[in-house]
Amino acid sequence: MARNKYDVDEQLEAPFDFNHLKRSFVYIKKYRKRMAAALFISIAAAVVGLVGPLVTQHALDVTIPDKNIKELILLSLLLLGCSLTATVLGNIRGRIMTVVGQNIIFDIREDLFAHLQKLPFTYYDDRPHGKILIRVINYVNSVSDMLSNGMINFIMEILNMVFILIFMLIVDVRLTLVAMSGLPLFILVMFAIKKQQRRAWQDVSNKSSNMNAYLQENIVGARITQVFTREEKNAGIYDQLNSKYRKSWMRAVKFSNLVWPATDNISTLVRAALFAAGLLIMDPGEVSLGVLAAMTGYAARFWQPIMNLSNIVNNFINNIAYLERIFETLDEPVTITDKEGAEDIEDLSGQVSFNDVTFGYEEGSSVIEHVSFDVRPGESVALVGPTCAGKSTIVSLISRFYDINQGSITFDGVDISDVTLRSLRSHMGIMLQDSFIFSGTIMDNIRYGRLDAKDEEIIRAAETVCADSFIREMSDGYETEVNERGSKLSGGEKQLISFARTLLSDPKILVLDEATSSIDAKTEALLQKGINELLKGRTSFIIAHRLSTIRNCDRIMYIDEKGILESGSHEELMAKKGAYYQLYTSQSA
Amino acid sequence: MFQLRWLWENMKGSRRNYIIALTLSVLCNGLYITSPYFQSRIVDTFVSNENAYENLKNNRDTFVLLLCGMIGATLLRTSMQYACNMYYETASQGMIYKVRTHLFRKIENQDMEFYDRFRTGDLMTRLTGDLDMVRHMVSWVIKGFVESVALFTASMIYFFVIDWRTALCILAMTPVIFFVTRLFARHAGPAYRKVRETSSALNTAAQENISGNRVVKAFAREDYEIEKFRKHDEDYRSANISAAMMWLKYHPFIDIAAGGLSVILLLFGGYFMIQRHLTMGQYLAISNLLWAVSNPMRNIGNYINDFQRFMASANKVIEIYYEAPKIVDRADAEEGPAKFRGEVEFCGVDLSIGDKKILDNISFHISPGENVVIMGATGSGKTSLINLIPRFLDCEKGEVLVDGKNVRLHKIKDLRKNIGIATQDVLLYSDTIDSNIAFGDSELEEAYVRQCAELSAASDFIERLPMKYDTIVGERGVGLSGGQKQRISLARALAIRPSVLILDDTTSAVDMETESFIQNSLEKRLDFPCTKIIIAQRISSSKNADKIIILENGKIADMGTHDELIRREGYYKQIYELQSGINCAAEEKKGVTA
Repeated sequence: MARNKYDVDEQLEAPFDFNHLKRSFVYIKKYRKRMAAALFISIAAAVVGLVGPLVTQHALDVTIPDKNIKELILLSLLLLGCSLTATVLGNIRGRIMTVVGQNIIFDIREDLFAHLQKLPFTYYDDRPHGKILIRVINYVNSVSDMLSNGMINFIMEILNMVFILIFMLIVDVRLTLVAMSGLPLFILVMFAIKKQQRRAWQDVSNKSSNMNAYLQENIVGARITQVFTREEKNAGIYDQLNSKYRKSWMRAVKFSNLVWPATDNISTLVRAALFAAGLLIMDPGEVSLGVLAAMTGYAARFWQPIMNLSNIVNNFINNIAYLERIFETLDEPVTITDKEGAEDIEDLSGQVSFNDVTFGYEEGSSVIEHVSFDVRPGESVALVGPTCAGKSTIVSLISRFYDINQGSITFDGVDISDVTLRSLRSHMGIMLQDSFIFSGTIMDNIRYGRLDAKDEEIIRAAETVCADSFIREMSDGYETEVNERGSKLSGGEKQLISFARTLLSDPKILVLDEATSSIDAKTEALLQKGINELLKGRTSFIIAHRLSTIRNCDRIMYIDEKGILESGSHEELMAKKGAYYQLYTSQSA
Repeated sequence: MFQLRWLWENMKGSRRNYIIALTLSVLCNGLYITSPYFQSRIVDTFVSNENAYENLKNNRDTFVLLLCGMIGATLLRTSMQYACNMYYETASQGMIYKVRTHLFRKIENQDMEFYDRFRTGDLMTRLTGDLDMVRHMVSWVIKGFVESVALFTASMIYFFVIDWRTALCILAMTPVIFFVTRLFARHAGPAYRKVRETSSALNTAAQENISGNRVVKAFAREDYEIEKFRKHDEDYRSANISAAMMWLKYHPFIDIAAGGLSVILLLFGGYFMIQRHLTMGQYLAISNLLWAVSNPMRNIGNYINDFQRFMASANKVIEIYYEAPKIVDRADAEEGPAKFRGEVEFCGVDLSIGDKKILDNISFHISPGENVVIMGATGSGKTSLINLIPRFLDCEKGEVLVDGKNVRLHKIKDLRKNIGIATQDVLLYSDTIDSNIAFGDSELEEAYVRQCAELSAASDFIERLPMKYDTIVGERGVGLSGGQKQRISLARALAIRPSVLILDDTTSAVDMETESFIQNSLEKRLDFPCTKIIIAQRISSSKNADKIIILENGKIADMGTHDELIRREGYYKQIYELQSGINCAAEEKKGVTA
């Protein structure tokens, strides 16, 4: 069962450490050459930028007093040259970093999505889908700039700071110390803000996740809301989530917006301290006025990169809350996965065995215990019994949607946990009651069963399951665009499409879990021929409530009390006058 | 521009804060220009002055005062800046809050046709990414634009006061910016619309993959899904890159124009100095403040770029913002009684969806308290028919009447409050079972929730769950079996004590025993009067019905009681024979074994 709902904040499993940032280097590393190039270009642009003031200074000091118009024009052209070079370099950097930034988020998103494909059902069952979606899309987008331009700017500013520091030390060590005296204060203030700020932004990410989860549920469930005239009530809940988000945001920016003013003030204090130290405290003559003038100039330039850095770090902190969520998802354990050295199954006869299988969804409570049975290739097995008894569990285990706690399940004597999942499921046709329709054409939806199927094969599959006629009646026939929530398909029609999809996949082992429940009786009777064709030569496991479907199966297993209560053909079980007999007679009465 | 008017309209309630913020912005930028004052006074008087030492000795107090002034001015400016930023945040959050609540209500109240047109992932994009662009516009772009214009204007005026010739030369560069940004704007629009589209497609792909994760696994289509997603992601990436590249194509011209200002100043300013039109002091004054002209010029390009992105997103938001459902209360709709009697009548009802005729001349009458079963093949129009009663659809010809009054003359809210529906596609919220059952009336007493669960044969399995009624079920009720979901959905419909109960194939996934228990509950154990309209596939459901309506291709093929219908040739008889074929066989078996 689910652990999380829309109005519950997700707890972050692991506290933040700098490993998250270190980890993101994996994504940056791939582009290190391009980033190094961009960095180099930035440095070159900075150096070119230094030429400009020199040119101006020369013009003011020499050229203009000399009234040398020719030289003035030359110097102007030189300045124009610098400016052009800086523009071109900046543009190249921009081009490189655009691609790098987009590639980084592309890579992260791809990893995240691929990892999500490996996660078990339980992951999806445990939380609102909107919360997963927002990570894949919005959160990944948020970290792009931080990991691309943010990194480069960070290095640039550090370099900038170091250079100015060296200049300052050359000019006067004592005044440099005064200029740096602001640093401890700066660090203190930043730490005080940062701690609050990080928590505040985590809260923002939680609140936005909650709000969007509720939004998605309401988009998907808009019909239900209308059925129960809950519009106002739901809007009220959304307003609450919305205003919680707003509050959380305002709290976070309250801290974030403090960073810049704090740095600005400290920078001013330092400059004031320099004047005070140079002019009031130290003896006159100890510091030359020229040195003092230079130092105040440097101090201003020394604090500029620090202010920029604090801004970059600020941005990091805001976005790291998102990065944490991304890495958390990437760290979500893949519980059902290929064993090391797992091999593909090439051919299957369709023989299936359960050997003393025990399984429970949660520790300590088992759904089935010590279940054993053998199914011959091509045999059809119906699973019957009260709801909740474990019929769906057994077919889920055959499909290896869960791993068993004890015992083994084998196909042709090979343990299903020893082969690759992909090859295992590619031999199986699993039709669940929840027949999901992807947005796209009906043709594409059926083709999902076998991607290389030709149109004629798809149409034949649809004909076999009696879906052809209603599909042809639709506005664009097989090319009609449908989607999951759409009203174009009825529940029965969705199931027929999903049936065709399974038929097309041509599986060796077939699992039908309530696959025909929404199909009307007459279509089902017609469909029986299709089902028979589907069953021919395949091992099949069928869960159905209609006894007409069950009766035709080779074997019927009555599941109850955590195991198989009765097993045998319809005739045998009827003769036994046990649980199945009771079920059967109560239904036909 | 309509988008901006729309923005302003939604700033209602935040306008005061926003105007304060804009004013503060302009003031802060003014302070930025004047802030070097104290420091330059100190430098001029005590450092670079020829009489620096004497000045310091004689005017120590002035020095201290200037130092305090320098600190004080910064403190004042930064406090104002902080206040200004918070005003922006308050205003933009207030505005976004308002738009978001409005959009949520819009999305909630649409007709079925709306949900066919807009995919979930697309709607999500509009309410997340697009809305964030709108926020960005209010809290960043407009702010930056106003600040830039203010700074630019103030500095230019200052320059003109100092020396009109030099100022004119500098001003001559600005048309370049306008020309380039206009050219850029023309190309940026389509580029950002493409980004929008690909982002929406990416969102949809991810959303469907997450919702359909069971099907993906069942067909072992993980690799295919990854491939599909990668294609969307690649499209999205290349759309983003080409939009950025478009900007980078035009940006150098703006950059050169802005950088060129210092060249102009050197060349013409220098020339004017040689001609003695300009003093060194005037030159330095202009030169020191040249950034206040060149930065705005650079930034305006950025803001135009962001503005184009805003336009692409705002259009998507606005499209939903003004989307109006067609099915609404008519002006002459009257408030009905709190409790309906539960009489339902169809008179010559026709319905088409698209070009397809769904229902054709449907007429029948259901008295209060009756138990009516609707049967028919897949796609025969059963679900559409019942959708007409609570006005999820409107018919184009004929009349649907509830309690003797055309449904269009009822308030939709009254109508739906009196109709309980358990839909075919069971949708539960990721919330507790208790809240899911009490969905229609969250004030519902716990005992009544349990009673409804019991009537729906759901209490047994709920009691067996680890947290019982407080168990959180996943979205769409994943984690529960189909039959369990259906029973919760039934309990949810019963919980509002509807006058008309509509069950759309609600017991298809429950076993026969449970179904007959439910039937018995509905027939005998409800503690409120209730008309039942049930779509069913099984004869067992229809045997005791007061009336059975057989639909075939949107027409009523037959109508009557079980006993009447099995005596006539037709769909019902066929189904009966199909399903009781089992009975006959069973009788046989009994005979053999006996």
